[in-house]
Amino acid sequence: MKVLIANRGEIAVRIIRGCRELGFDTVAVYSDADRTAPHVRLADEAHHLGPSLARESYLRIDKLVDIARRTGASLVHPGYGFLAENEEFAQACADAGLTFVGPSPKAIELMGSKTAAREVAIKAGVPVVPGTKAPFGEDAPDALLVTEAERIGFPLLVKAVAGGGGKGMRSVAKAADLLSAVRTARSEAKSAFGDAAVYFERRLIGPRHIEIQLLGDAHGTVIPFVERECSIQRRHQKVVEESPSPVLRPDVRLKLAECAARVAREVGYTNAGTIEFLVDEQQNFYFLEMNTRLQVEHPITEIVTGIDLVHWQLRIAQGERLTIDPERALTPRAHAIECRIYAEDPDLGFLPSPGLVRGLRIPNGPGVRHDGGVAAGFEVPTTYDSMLAKLITWGNTREEAVQRLGRALAEYRVVGLKTTVPFFQWLVNQPDFIDSRFDTTWLDRVLTERRGQPFVAPSAADEQDAVIAAALAAWFRAHGAAAGSPVDGRGAWRWAARMDGLR
Amino acid sequence: MTFEIEIAGHVRTVSIENVGGVGPDGRFRLTIRDAANPGAEARPLTLDARPTDVGLSLLFADSGRSVDLAVTAQPNGEHFVQLPHVAVTAIVEGRRARRGGSGEASGSGEQRLMAPMPGRVVRLLVKPGDEVAPRQGLLVVEAMKMENELSTARAGRVREISVAEGQSVQAGQLLVIVE
Repeated sequence: MKVLIANRGEIAVRIIRGCRELGFDTVAVYSDADRTAPHVRLADEAHHLGPSLARESYLRIDKLVDIARRTGASLVHPGYGFLAENEEFAQACADAGLTFVGPSPKAIELMGSKTAAREVAIKAGVPVVPGTKAPFGEDAPDALLVTEAERIGFPLLVKAVAGGGGKGMRSVAKAADLLSAVRTARSEAKSAFGDAAVYFERRLIGPRHIEIQLLGDAHGTVIPFVERECSIQRRHQKVVEESPSPVLRPDVRLKLAECAARVAREVGYTNAGTIEFLVDEQQNFYFLEMNTRLQVEHPITEIVTGIDLVHWQLRIAQGERLTIDPERALTPRAHAIECRIYAEDPDLGFLPSPGLVRGLRIPNGPGVRHDGGVAAGFEVPTTYDSMLAKLITWGNTREEAVQRLGRALAEYRVVGLKTTVPFFQWLVNQPDFIDSRFDTTWLDRVLTERRGQPFVAPSAADEQDAVIAAALAAWFRAHGAAAGSPVDGRGAWRWAARMDGLR
Repeated sequence: MTFEIEIAGHVRTVSIENVGGVGPDGRFRLTIRDAANPGAEARPLTLDARPTDVGLSLLFADSGRSVDLAVTAQPNGEHFVQLPHVAVTAIVEGRRARRGGSGEASGSGEQRLMAPMPGRVVRLLVKPGDEVAPRQGLLVVEAMKMENELSTARAGRVREISVAEGQSVQAGQLLVIVE
């Protein structure tokens, strides 16, 4: 049996691995920019979708369905992002006789609309954050936007109805900033999700973002998992996730799990999904939204429970019954932390830094997992999300996991691009991080206070090492380039060739 | 051979001598001098440097200290050196390059806003002739699905906008001139 993976990057690689472990053949798809991407090289077969622009490649439902048909794939895994939460895609797969590895089109539609999902949560008796009932379409008059915003009160969040990953979301502190925030949120949402509708939600003070992973099968069983804490966020985008939460009380964990399962049952949810909550200082919690897909941060749940979520996605899609012990899913066996490694320059306000990966050394050893989507020699495109990889470490305690993270980050080398690795090296040494004193606003606040100060400052000894390295690099280049006086050894030739390539 | 290496404005002069083995599979003697104080005594360092898959492996002869680093050279002489806990940008022969270069119009008060990364111009927020405040957004460039508002550090008047909405831009491409 074959699975078509309708995605790219690290998640396509992750899914191919899961498929292969269960004995499925894998079909990758790629755009012009991704011909030599790891997911293409790893799959059993790969088919071209079109130009680099996502809407001409990874968002082309017609082409994806056609490739699935032509290759004889019987399952389609959407990953996250792109078409993962697009009910038309799920429906198109069903219409073509393909099994979509995810929930029903109806569940995607219902829970994908953030406003409708809130209604579901209210019906299931789960508390929600105060906000607007119906979404605002593109033609909603400014006066209505202002009236509704004032009814909810500031500060508030403008959120894309189809949004995710911090895209199409803006925080508004006062009425004067509302309309321009709505414009940017719409413009971002339109280009990222093809839907410009937005809604408003009250912004809670000092909240933590805590979410519950769950699996549902076609026979009515829903299994909630131990929570993930994702409060370290930059501009509403998760940067670090960990499981279990370092602060959640065990009784609240059980209540969250129970509420999450109730929401899922309310809509007859199948396959993998995540219910996100905001939790305040008193550990009151509010339903935020549901993600009807596999999450970026799913590995930490796999590590602390020992349950492979991608395996279960594939098994559930084929009609299998969930046989996971609910107790096991709710009992963490370790503490796991994930860092999202982005091609961004942390010392330049996290500006995107696409380009050629000239070298890559991936951390390894005890308690380390690396889910990556790039290889040395691959040109990171400007067209897609800038996440290169996820670095996950775990230990018996949070302290052990944090120590491992520091060790693994020091081993990590991504050559040729600026990445967020130095930022994480700074983060793991912050007392607030070490002592788990943070909420969803912590990182943005700290970054503002730092005013662009570099995350890791070199010592005098570091500077000396850098001087030596740069001088030696220049020396080798001078010698490699001098025709007729080659230096000996294969290493020298490789070096000269590489240095030549850099000029 | 001697190179001038500059880190954060601090210039050193490094002389390198290949003293054992041949080429990169050999040993080097380096003497590092502060360019501001060339007469000061400088003790030479002996080390063994070898290329690796990501850069260089250094072993210092006196202490045995091992440094595994990555190095990326840019065409303008910038070397991005990634050490285990920190990254440092070192410029090789920067003064020479600047002396020989065309020289940027910096003293005139003109500010040229270049694209810091490749992307697409989503919106222009100003037009020629507009007065702008320091760090006021001049245009929005989308890269990697995020919209980035770009600005200049000082106030001024927009003299020229070199790009149009919807246009793709390369890193380093001129976007706006503010005078």
